[in-house]
Amino acid sequence: MFEELYSFLNRYTPVSSADFDTLMKKMEMRTYKKKEQLIHTGETEQHLYFVVKGLTRKYFKKGKQEIITHIVKEGGIISSAASFFSQTPSRYIVETIEPTTLLALSKQSLEELLATGNKWEKILRLMTTQFFLVQEYRLLDNIRYTARERFVKFMEQNPDLLLRVPQKYLASYLNIKPETFSRMKHLMAGVKNRKNL
Amino acid sequence: MSDVLKNSDQLSREFVHNYLQKFMPLSVTEVEGLMQYCEFRKFGKKEIIVQEGETDNYLNMVVQGLVRKFIRVKKNEVILQLATEGHVIHSEISFLTRSPSLVVLDTLEPTILASINYENMEAALKEHPQGEKLGRLILTRMYIKKDERRYIELSRTVRERFIDYVTHHPHMLQRVPQKYLATYLNIKPETFSRLKHLVRVKK
Repeated sequence: MFEELYSFLNRYTPVSSADFDTLMKKMEMRTYKKKEQLIHTGETEQHLYFVVKGLTRKYFKKGKQEIITHIVKEGGIISSAASFFSQTPSRYIVETIEPTTLLALSKQSLEELLATGNKWEKILRLMTTQFFLVQEYRLLDNIRYTARERFVKFMEQNPDLLLRVPQKYLASYLNIKPETFSRMKHLMAGVKNRKNL
Repeated sequence: MSDVLKNSDQLSREFVHNYLQKFMPLSVTEVEGLMQYCEFRKFGKKEIIVQEGETDNYLNMVVQGLVRKFIRVKKNEVILQLATEGHVIHSEISFLTRSPSLVVLDTLEPTILASINYENMEAALKEHPQGEKLGRLILTRMYIKKDERRYIELSRTVRERFIDYVTHHPHMLQRVPQKYLATYLNIKPETFSRLKHLVRVKK
């Protein structure tokens, strides 16, 4: 179960098994049911969560509408990151979509790790870089691609999520109007067939 | 070198010094050590800093002037960032992943940038124990700013975005052509003109 986290970290920089043990001692395993909130608007984020199993989303409410900015599955990190880094109230809600198991690293534990040496600084810098890149890609993709292109691109990269994520969530995440999204569903057949080839 | 230029270099160095101190306490020696990796680059008005398709080799902080970052979509230029004194600007994806830039950077005013190139950044991170933390803190701040801008864009009405922006950046109305501000705020030019009365009332 922890191998995923181990390989996740090693994507950034080599982590010794001793360092990994140190990290694991600081992390707390948490399980959530479906549609449980990890953090609500106005609370200050105290954790970074590594998704071991399950599916989560990050969103905010605009009137009655929910605007989804992140959908994170196994092997990814979810947090109200800006709140976590700045220790100011969260603008977002983080919630599970499926029953979910997470490894939680608290702000306090992270600070303790950072105090033990520069390698944790490096890992955190590279992870922050990754957060940043994801944000920038999403922003640019939203501008340079049409709704149809965004839809097809997402389905090709995440065919599994098509079945796991409610369509209205996907529509919001991809910034596509629900009506338009419904009309695009025929494109999914194409994506599925290509995957089977 | 003329005294004026020497002075401007000295001021630029002080500017960077003060900027870095905001992130973490650093001794004069540490700052001087890190400054060895930086260079000051000067640009005229309307000069291209990074072209589309070119790999951006620099991380820049604006010491003086105004830089815009935009992406070309069909025939339109969508402005993503307007950076003034103390702001960090570059083609982030290109710089960090060493790939051709999707965006263009150019100047709207004569500009001085404090820049560090990719190789020097890597060297500074290796050789300076404070580099990792400083790098992380600068990046974290950039992330928070980006998140904030995206949140405002998605959550607010056009009118709210306009008011929020002019309240926080009153000088920009003088420094930036209106059509640029309108695309930056994702507001139609006609709507932008109509909203300007809100500023006059405030004065």
